[in-house]
Amino acid sequence: MRGNYTVNSGVRFRMLTDDQLQELYDGVLHVLEYTGLEVHHEESLEILKKAGAWVDGNRVRIPSYLVRKSLELAPRSFTVFSRDGNPENNIHIGPGRAHFGPGPTCPNFIDVETMDRRPYIKSDVPNVAKVVDALPNVDFCESLGTVNDVHHDLGALYEFAGMFPNTSKPIVAWSYDKYDSAGIHEIAVAEAGGQKAFERRPNYIHYCEPLSPLVSTGEALDKLIFAAKHRIPLIFTPCPIAGGTAPVTAAGIIIQGAAESWMGLTIAQALQPGLPFIMGGVFSVMDMSSMILSYGAPELSLMMAGLTELAHFAGLPLWQTGGCTDSKTFDEQAIIEGSLSVYFSALTGGDLTHDVGYTESAMTGSVFQLTAMDEAIGYARRITRGIEVNEDTMAVDVINNVGPNGHYLREEHTRRHYKTEFWYPNICDRRNYEEWEEEGKKTMKDRTYARVQDILATHKPSPIKPETEKVIDKVLSEAEERVKNS
Amino acid sequence: MSEIYEKLSTAILEGDADKTPKLVNRGLKQGLTPKEVLDNGLIVGMDEVGVRFKRGDMFVPEVLMSADAMAAGMLILRPLLVESGAELLGKIVMGTVKGDLHDIGKNLVSMMCEGAGFEIVNLGFNVEPDVFINAIKEHQPAIVGMSAMLTTTMRAMGHTIKAIEEAGLRDTVKVFVGGAPVDKEFADTIGADGYGSNAPGGAELAKQLVGAA
Repeated sequence: MRGNYTVNSGVRFRMLTDDQLQELYDGVLHVLEYTGLEVHHEESLEILKKAGAWVDGNRVRIPSYLVRKSLELAPRSFTVFSRDGNPENNIHIGPGRAHFGPGPTCPNFIDVETMDRRPYIKSDVPNVAKVVDALPNVDFCESLGTVNDVHHDLGALYEFAGMFPNTSKPIVAWSYDKYDSAGIHEIAVAEAGGQKAFERRPNYIHYCEPLSPLVSTGEALDKLIFAAKHRIPLIFTPCPIAGGTAPVTAAGIIIQGAAESWMGLTIAQALQPGLPFIMGGVFSVMDMSSMILSYGAPELSLMMAGLTELAHFAGLPLWQTGGCTDSKTFDEQAIIEGSLSVYFSALTGGDLTHDVGYTESAMTGSVFQLTAMDEAIGYARRITRGIEVNEDTMAVDVINNVGPNGHYLREEHTRRHYKTEFWYPNICDRRNYEEWEEEGKKTMKDRTYARVQDILATHKPSPIKPETEKVIDKVLSEAEERVKNS
Repeated sequence: MSEIYEKLSTAILEGDADKTPKLVNRGLKQGLTPKEVLDNGLIVGMDEVGVRFKRGDMFVPEVLMSADAMAAGMLILRPLLVESGAELLGKIVMGTVKGDLHDIGKNLVSMMCEGAGFEIVNLGFNVEPDVFINAIKEHQPAIVGMSAMLTTTMRAMGHTIKAIEEAGLRDTVKVFVGGAPVDKEFADTIGADGYGSNAPGGAELAKQLVGAA
């Protein structure tokens, strides 16, 4: 239309300058080259040595050229596919695209019927997956809990087996060890139609966690190597706590956490060049009176924003955090903390925002928090979608046609745009007082509860293939056999 | 026979103001009475519009299109219904009260009421109590509708009702009120018979006031 016409159609957030990001980036390289990390894993030490890292016992230092090479190999944009081929449930990771989903491993759960807090159990898994599958603004699935009522080594496997048939949105799978990882992969590959088909259209993401400060544990690297060998998109996400296991300052924790993540990156890219790699993770403060890792602190959003900018500066997608709270129940605190961090995450364009639905500082998962946050994500997404300016949207002719003291409700222009230009809430109430009163003065909590009940009663996820069901049974019975004497 | 009814109600539901009059004429040509066309075709469509609007499946711009289609059909049916002596929903005298220049909300309610089958006498805005009284005398409406957009002008609705009372006409009409600052409690205080919070709600209320809903 016009040359050199600048378009800024979405709301953008930029905190740090390129100069500041370069300083952080150089700080990470410095830590990796001069301080190094502990690596408790023989195979990884071999891989690192071969790639050019300096290995001294368990201490590994990585020269900066090798880190830069690893960053160069990892893609910034890639796609994770729905298991059933539904394109709406694919996740396209790339600049300007923020996605959302729950987190893993809370010991407790808010019961979907009674709303009481109790240990997380196996039968909660399908319910969480169904709710994820139904919510329009939740893009990927995690289980919101650690299954307590199966053998203690098999929680992760039962989780995946419970989620996979109940949502076709991509799952982010964590595991205890490489045995879990192998079982999970067998199920996903069965559905994809074999390893080759999986590599072309990966249908889940593998999640592992190093230890802060500066330790890569054997289990984490077992899982990382499994994912790299099988070309499973990988999240390597530390959880440093400012003032406890990381520097108290935001810039300091960002540098340390990035170094922990990029150690994983270097191993993964040495083993499988071009493996989709997502750096993490959860960066927040240790509350110096309660000693908790705060999931509702403003510093969480701030640190995650800085980390997102560093990740994007380095050319990696980020495992963001938001939609979570320190509150113990579905109350005003939960909604304030959750909504603000969701909005902030959306503004940063952090690629996969997880822990949506965490309450009690990650001790208790809640589909009610998740469902309320789905509303906040929709709200935030409408804002970040921004304002489109063109001849049609400027509506100068329409204004002229309607003129003074007319109205726009009958205009074709209105009818064409009102459904996309406006966002419509699912559970926020906009009716007048009388209508609200007539329906029993329902609160946000009541409406959220009703929406969850409605989803659980009516939502039907697309089924998995019958042969995959058999593979799930086989994987579970083999796993039970393996652990029966432990 | 049922096919034409279904087509009529679908045309209303789809807000098709071109097709509706054609279908009305076709129905009449097939030998249906105007009352049958209205009750089994147009009204069925409009009732479904109401249901869908309440459920959140239809929105105001679409409801207005349906109301337009209904009005286009009524243009043909009304004279025939009057001729045949069929009972009609009656007239509504509508106006924005004295001192208030807001026109649009009241017009939307008028359109919706027209869509529901009423005949509308639109007095415009900044309407003096006397003008309401003269219109009641002239048109003998079943209902008087008043609107006010401002907290400063909403009291004029009370004054107008009082004036209608003093003219001895209060018992001949039902009065319903609406507008942004108005609520049920205020409507009760000034002695109105009803309060509508939005345009489709206003039409629903009008039907209730004449015992047609």
